[in-house]
Amino acid sequence: MTRVAIAGSGIVSAYGIGRNVLRAGLMSGRPAITPLTRFPLAFADRIKLNQVDPDLFPEGETGARAMILAAVDEALADAGLGREALADAALLVGTSGFLYLAEYEYRKTFAATGEPSSPPLRGAGRMADRIAAALGVTGPVLTLSTACASSANALLVGADLIRRGRVKRALVIGAEGLSAISLTGFESLMLLDPEGCRPFDAGRAGLQLGEGVAALLLEADRAGARLALAGGANRCDIHHVTSASPGGEAMAAVIGDALADAGLTAADIVAVKAHGTGSEDSDLAEAAALKRVFGARPPPFTAIKRYIGHTLGACGAMELTALVACVESGRLPPAAGFGTPDPALGIAPLTDFHPLGAGHTLLNFFGFGGNYAALVVRHD
Amino acid sequence: MTERRVYVHAAAALGPWGDTGADERRRLDADPPPLDLNALTRATLGAPLRQASHFVELAAIGARLCLDALGRRPPDAAAVYIGTGLAEVRRAAALFRQVMPPGPGLASPFDFINASNNMAAFYVAKGAGLAARNLTVKQEEFSFERALELADGDLRAGAVPAALVGGVDENVQPRSDHLRRITLRDDQWMGEGSAWLYLDGDPAGARAELVVIVEQVTAPDAPADAWAARLAPALAALKRAGEPWQLLPGFRLRATQREALRAALPGIGLREYLDHCGCYYSAAGFGMATLFDAAPPPGLSLHVNRDAGGRCVAVALRAL
Repeated sequence: MTRVAIAGSGIVSAYGIGRNVLRAGLMSGRPAITPLTRFPLAFADRIKLNQVDPDLFPEGETGARAMILAAVDEALADAGLGREALADAALLVGTSGFLYLAEYEYRKTFAATGEPSSPPLRGAGRMADRIAAALGVTGPVLTLSTACASSANALLVGADLIRRGRVKRALVIGAEGLSAISLTGFESLMLLDPEGCRPFDAGRAGLQLGEGVAALLLEADRAGARLALAGGANRCDIHHVTSASPGGEAMAAVIGDALADAGLTAADIVAVKAHGTGSEDSDLAEAAALKRVFGARPPPFTAIKRYIGHTLGACGAMELTALVACVESGRLPPAAGFGTPDPALGIAPLTDFHPLGAGHTLLNFFGFGGNYAALVVRHD
Repeated sequence: MTERRVYVHAAAALGPWGDTGADERRRLDADPPPLDLNALTRATLGAPLRQASHFVELAAIGARLCLDALGRRPPDAAAVYIGTGLAEVRRAAALFRQVMPPGPGLASPFDFINASNNMAAFYVAKGAGLAARNLTVKQEEFSFERALELADGDLRAGAVPAALVGGVDENVQPRSDHLRRITLRDDQWMGEGSAWLYLDGDPAGARAELVVIVEQVTAPDAPADAWAARLAPALAALKRAGEPWQLLPGFRLRATQREALRAALPGIGLREYLDHCGCYYSAAGFGMATLFDAAPPPGLSLHVNRDAGGRCVAVALRAL
């Protein structure tokens, strides 16, 4: 079967531009928590989040495009390729929908006129089309919007297109910006933890949102690549719109599907990058799922949303790129924000750096609307 | 290894009048009036969808009609794919009024939850008991075609046993508001709809075969006849000798391009489905699903659309 190599990756995160600063940040153990300065928000001083330095890119669509292209160019350079290599590649974007760009346009109009206006809610594919045009991509262009599993699903689709011979390369982008509506919406659901993300902690109380862009170049049978997408799966948990099946059955099922797709068993997994949002029921269900799949002692697992924020639709690509940085470092960072084990979970994430050698790592992504994805990554 | 083939077993389309079958289809001669789906939701689903949006109602009704037309329960591992241009545009607009200035700065939790683009796919999956692959493609151009392409690829690879594929979009009144999100000519009516195909790899009892999805990229400013001349051979190669065929032009296809393509495909008929559903991003699904309002027209049906960037996607279905 075709091996889907992760030939290159690039990222813009709250740590700055590039995988080097991300790696340095993760390996320092210090989360990139920042104040919110992009827009006014009544409760901004009561929450923690991870904002990309607004001086790095202009606001609005121009800046968003530049941010994406910065991540893409890093991924291409990482793979030793130029943009011309993307001519017949697929371009897949995973995002919750570029709401932040519509908000920016709305604020600009409101500032100029003092009047509310009809928001320019264009479809998410507009950005993908523009990026494809900028890169000269003539292969399939597709935008997936499946909540927090969006870019993980984009990675799965990209891998499928390569395995099935449709394309030789797939460029997968996860992109998300901080949005007043998202922050206010999660606040209205009482899902923002004032203490920030505390994954699997007994005192956890919700999310810590972030923003950023990551780009991964997948390629068929690339010699010498240290990482490969060995398998993965997507499923729908039809238990509830926003709550996971409490026993973790659906999460365990998608992990099981991913392992089967990779031709592996649970014993083959050396580490887990948990979804680990810090929300009460999602972490409870994920812990239950890990125990269902791995037994009472799962492999070492970490969660990184306190470091770079929960980047919603982008977290699949962002957190896979973070894993690339961990592989380069040979270490997994502790689950920042975790301090007190929760007896209800029965398991606890890493509290210190842990060696990461060759093997397979599982990455979990669980979104609203029961959209779940799991990826299995081989690293040498 | 023998390549798997993909067949259409059932289809359904809910149009902008609340129309669900051939006898209810009506030609649009203006933008359609606002569509209230409460009664149809209860009639089709047996109960209202509490707190669900208009977009979710559209999707859930259309999918249920398609499964009703199928007449049997799909396998548990059947996948759901939705293509949409704008998804939850009404709920998203409501959130702007609530959160952005001069609004109160508070978001309705229900509006926020419903504004997730994949919520319709969740309700469809829940309604049908399908806890398997579930993907929402949200993009302006070719959203239904891409969803169909994902399903086609998964079916041919044997990754899923069956697929429920929908094209769903809602409009926003008034037209001036809607035009901020979709560019329409003065002679194009804004539409909305929910159209679904049920696909699997079993030819027994199938109503059509999904033959192929063809994609080409040409220069955005390529003359219509040059564009048609380049596309036509790939489409003509699909036609069997003596077989009737018809063209379903997508809403981005300009009149000159449509006529150039007809000229390049001698003898091809024309099916102008947009007269009945109006123009919306995922309208291609309506065009394809309404082929099955009655016995599908014999022969080959080709849906062709093209975006402003010069990308063209054609879907070929053959009636069985």
